[in-house]
Amino acid sequence: MQYIKLYKIFVRQYFKQLLEYKLDFIIGILGIFVTQCLNIVFLWVIFSKIPSLYGWNLDELIFIYGFSLIPKGLDHLLTDNLWIFAKKTVVSGQFDKYLLRPISPLFQITFETFQFDAVGEILIGVLLLIKSFNIVYWTPQKAILFILTIPFTTLIYTSLKIMTASISFWTKKSGSVMYIFYMINNFAKYPVNIYNFVIRFVITFIIPFAFTAFYPASFFIRGENNTFFYSLIMISILFFLLSLFIWKKGISSYESSGS
Amino acid sequence: MKNNIIEVSNLNKVFKKQTKSSNLISYLKTLILPEYTYFQAVKDLNFQIPEGQIFGFIGANGAGKSTTIKMLTGILQPTSGNIVIDGYNPQNDRKEYVKEIGVVFGQRTQLWWDLPVIETYFVLKEIYQIPDSEFNDRLAFFDDILELRKFINNPVRTLSLGQRMRADIAASLLHNPKILFLDEPTIGLDVSVKDRIRQAIKEINSQKKTTIILTTHDLRDVEVLCDRIYIINNGQEIFDGTLEKLKSSYGSMREVVFSVDHINDIEKLNYKLKFPEIEVYVKDNDIHVIFDSNKTVLPELIKYTLDKVVVKNILVNETSIEDIVKKIMRT
Repeated sequence: MQYIKLYKIFVRQYFKQLLEYKLDFIIGILGIFVTQCLNIVFLWVIFSKIPSLYGWNLDELIFIYGFSLIPKGLDHLLTDNLWIFAKKTVVSGQFDKYLLRPISPLFQITFETFQFDAVGEILIGVLLLIKSFNIVYWTPQKAILFILTIPFTTLIYTSLKIMTASISFWTKKSGSVMYIFYMINNFAKYPVNIYNFVIRFVITFIIPFAFTAFYPASFFIRGENNTFFYSLIMISILFFLLSLFIWKKGISSYESSGS
Repeated sequence: MKNNIIEVSNLNKVFKKQTKSSNLISYLKTLILPEYTYFQAVKDLNFQIPEGQIFGFIGANGAGKSTTIKMLTGILQPTSGNIVIDGYNPQNDRKEYVKEIGVVFGQRTQLWWDLPVIETYFVLKEIYQIPDSEFNDRLAFFDDILELRKFINNPVRTLSLGQRMRADIAASLLHNPKILFLDEPTIGLDVSVKDRIRQAIKEINSQKKTTIILTTHDLRDVEVLCDRIYIINNGQEIFDGTLEKLKSSYGSMREVVFSVDHINDIEKLNYKLKFPEIEVYVKDNDIHVIFDSNKTVLPELIKYTLDKVVVKNILVNETSIEDIVKKIMRT
């Protein structure tokens, strides 16, 4: 309860800060919007030359791509502060102050800021899903499943960020490690069967990004992988618990810096 | 007899550091077979602090003050030893324990950089779940002694250092902690701001009976504020007692300053031969001599100096507590 109230306060504070830096905010949203539009133009150009990719046509690809942007964008919206943590909180000694407050440090760090720029990503994702809406044969079950899928796919992103952020407890900084692992999500935007075995294995079992887009999306489109939902729940929760475990380990070996 | 709110026994902290080599090959070797060096930052500290005391924790840079404070506040795990504060173990009972303490690190702020001061207080109000009426009372009290009103609606990043420190002190006390840790609260401030902050600390201590642990390099802070002085060097206790005790044990120290034309003349002086117990250092064109008036006779010292070099001016100072501390640390 206290945490929900606190979260509201953090969000409210964020919007107050936004008013201080209006231009930065507008540029941020525009930037993400432009990046995503360019990505789509790029896809368009390729698929106008190649009508299908390993048996996936343009609309299907758009659906998968759009689907992948939803959890990515939500995670970006809610937990962006983990990036800042990985880049500088430990090395600058700022982590001390979180340990001195009677609430969970992970909660404070994850939710302390809110990243409204991410709305650009989510918006593009939604537009792409709307564009390719017709290729899915929608039933009420599918619609419910679609909504239930979103929090778990988002959790995979957040867990990966918590894990890589935790590394900074040992190394003081882990921004670049986080970036490398985070970038693997780019593989999630396309059908998994276009990749070789190694990549497929990695994004299914090691860093399970395939569950954030392709497995659910292919179920909605073609009814393939119809047990995806159970594996998604299991994998995302396991991944999350693992990230909490690493975080705990990290805190216990934390030695603050400076005087 | 007052209760001890803080009990520290046999406290030790050893840091393990990986040896890094600038030589590429041995650097690669240490990646596989890491070598460690050990550094003992705190050695066997023992002290008790009674409730309501202002405890001055003094030592040079690197003496182990901050390491000790971090262990007391629960941030760092001691290598060995025991800390009991208000019945809690700072490391194991973190969430409950931190409700009882306030911490100000002079070098860093705990406030949210982009928020107005008052907004950051609202966030803390929620974190510590402070009831409205108490929150308002305390805010009024702090406004009274720290004069927050002038800048309470300004974003933290626009505050001057002195304003920020005042805002930080108030922030650390909003939840009415029993113990306040002040790590160099007057660092970098001008004299009048220092005075105001000292007044505020005194006021808080006398009105709220808050136990205060203060580290500082400014010994005026100690003279004005501290009931007790605890000095450490190389992680070990070297003095524990009142200011009076410090002065009576070491108070026969005096300082005499000779201004000379040619500072190289100091080589002619060879003080150590004639006055083995004195301390000498040079600053600009002045030769500072610190001596114990029980052991060294001032007129002799002056005569000896005048005989050897040309002196423009002589100044004799009562030793400040700063010199006393310097002296203790050297022995």
